[in-house]
Amino acid sequence: MGSVLETTMMLLILSDMALLGLSRLRTCIAVASFQGMLLGVFTLLAHEQALTPRIFLIAAVSFILKGFVFPQLLRRSIREASAQNEMDPYVGYSMSVMAGMAMFGAALWLGEQLPLTLAAGMHLVIPAALTTVLTGLFLIIARKNALSQCLGFIILENGIYAIGIVSVVEISVLVEIGILLDAAVAVVVMGVAIFHINRQFDHLDTDQLDSLKG
Amino acid sequence: MYYESALWLSLLIPFVLGFACNILPSARTALGAMCCCVFGTAIAGCIAIVAVFQHGTIFIASNWLFLDGLSAYHYGILLVVFCLSSVYAWAYFGEELRKGHFTRKQARLFAGLWCEACAAMTLVLFSNNLGIMWVGIEATTLITAFLICIHVSRQSMEAMWKYIVICSVGMAFAFMGTLLIAVSAKALELGPHDSLLWTVLYDNAGRLDPKLIKAAFIFLLVGYGTKAGLAPMHNWLPDAHMQAPSPVSAIFSGFLLSTAMYCIMRYMPVIEGATGSIGWCQRLMTGFGLFSIAVAAVFIVSQKNLKRFLAYSSIEHIGIISLGLGLGGLGVFAALFHTLNHSLCKTLSFFAAGRMGQILGTYDIRDMKGALRRSPVWGTGLFLSILALIGAAPFSLFMSEFLILKAAIDKQAFVIAFVFLLGLGIVFICALGYILPLSWGGPPLKKAAPAHLFQYESFLVYIPLTALLILGLWMPAPLQAVLQKAAEIIGGAAAYAPAIGLMP
Repeated sequence: MGSVLETTMMLLILSDMALLGLSRLRTCIAVASFQGMLLGVFTLLAHEQALTPRIFLIAAVSFILKGFVFPQLLRRSIREASAQNEMDPYVGYSMSVMAGMAMFGAALWLGEQLPLTLAAGMHLVIPAALTTVLTGLFLIIARKNALSQCLGFIILENGIYAIGIVSVVEISVLVEIGILLDAAVAVVVMGVAIFHINRQFDHLDTDQLDSLKG
Repeated sequence: MYYESALWLSLLIPFVLGFACNILPSARTALGAMCCCVFGTAIAGCIAIVAVFQHGTIFIASNWLFLDGLSAYHYGILLVVFCLSSVYAWAYFGEELRKGHFTRKQARLFAGLWCEACAAMTLVLFSNNLGIMWVGIEATTLITAFLICIHVSRQSMEAMWKYIVICSVGMAFAFMGTLLIAVSAKALELGPHDSLLWTVLYDNAGRLDPKLIKAAFIFLLVGYGTKAGLAPMHNWLPDAHMQAPSPVSAIFSGFLLSTAMYCIMRYMPVIEGATGSIGWCQRLMTGFGLFSIAVAAVFIVSQKNLKRFLAYSSIEHIGIISLGLGLGGLGVFAALFHTLNHSLCKTLSFFAAGRMGQILGTYDIRDMKGALRRSPVWGTGLFLSILALIGAAPFSLFMSEFLILKAAIDKQAFVIAFVFLLGLGIVFICALGYILPLSWGGPPLKKAAPAHLFQYESFLVYIPLTALLILGLWMPAPLQAVLQKAAEIIGGAAAYAPAIGLMP
């Protein structure tokens, strides 16, 4: 079963690289949606020895939220803001993928440093999750479009979620659901903010949000 | 027990009434309901706080929520800040309503979000479960984001976007830290119910994995530090404070930043216990504190906007609190005292800045002249509160800063003391340079229309000022006991008595 888990993790890393290299926002959202569904499945795979109703519930909620609800909210924002592409990011797309490779390297090293005791066959999980966290951060920093930044936040949350799923089984379900819902609300709030920004500025370029300085 | 219901009530009143505010028929009723809600909460809250200091820690919701000495002290500050700010919001928005700048829709939204923000901060202070604490802080971020842009404009949108993005990333880091804390407790073999309970971790700190817990604290410090406005994660703070309406700036500076600092305070004893009390996290706190003071001192030199200047002053004071916590012992006591002083004083400064801005029509320091002539009440408030903020004796901020300095010198940390004094000195000189012309400068005014003031507004100025003055000259024994109890929880259990004896 370890090989299925490894494949999942490889797909996670590949989807990170795709997000870094793609310019069309709709495609990026599709990739993020795929990543969300992947994490839902991964929740079940990681705990397949001890499947409890709790695990099922968490997997289902995250599958639906990350795979369908968040992407749908983002698509709606795209429609409202009629934004199609990231026009000219601070860091170009091929450079971004190169940076992604470097981040994967850094994640491998960091994964070695953290003394997390994991079950067998999970050695790829922490590096893959950390790569996802770093990819999210990179998207927030290196993209100008408010929608891309929002997408980056979702990816960042995905990475942290993956770490949480393998390393902590004990957190009570209430807290976990609360945290997922908080992420959902964060995305809604960002969506509303994007809508407001678009109405005020007629564009979503955050590099033109520069009147407050000093 | 009656005090358990008081605790429930102080959480549920603002939560429930916050929704009710959205369906009220007019702007005034919405703002009025908001004030009633906050004062109702305050009554229930006071009962709970008194009960904590008489009977000890109160636990509710099967130990997931609690109120102990440290949180009760902070909750007291929250209630004071919210009560004052609600009354002020009534006056501030009353003026805007009179001028027609504030609609019913905005008033309802504001009142609702205000109560929910109060509920979210209360949840942070009450949570014994560190996961719930994180949920509370994240909720404050999302709720207060809309308070910044009650008046939608390009600048307020920009401030709000920066606030959401920077603080959300910060919160993601804090969540990662919370996760790592849970992982480090694996050796305790806790059940799902109590794996993140602060009381359990606090009692078993020695059995946590030190390496993991260090990683966790770095994430937590960066995450919650972002929300607290510690440099270099402070970038959102000046923009948000400048663009938010003044009552909102007042709760931001007066309590939201302290809420995030409170979260860091909660973690400190656990981390120290797990790492063998070698002062590892205290050194980090000292470093971030000094850096924040330095950054604030550098940026304060060239400020043109009064509210932006006050925002940088908040970064400085959060730095001072962090420094106090880092110094340990007497420093912890002083840092907690400073939290109260700063909340009172900064709330008043933002009140005064907001009203003076309304009266003079600008927040540009170069154009705000002769504040004392235009409105003696708010002019006095602004002048004296900024004087207190920069540490002029005999106000209580001088006392707490003096105690922190003493803590540094007692530890023979002369470099720290020097940087601390240098930062305070720069801020002192710059602030005087701003505030003197602002209060007295400018040509004699031609007969400008007298500012419209409500009767009770002078109380908003003189109550905090009197409190700051009294606390500067004399510390009441009950307050000292409360502070001592709270400081013991964070691990500053050293003897304070000789230091307090120094107070005039």
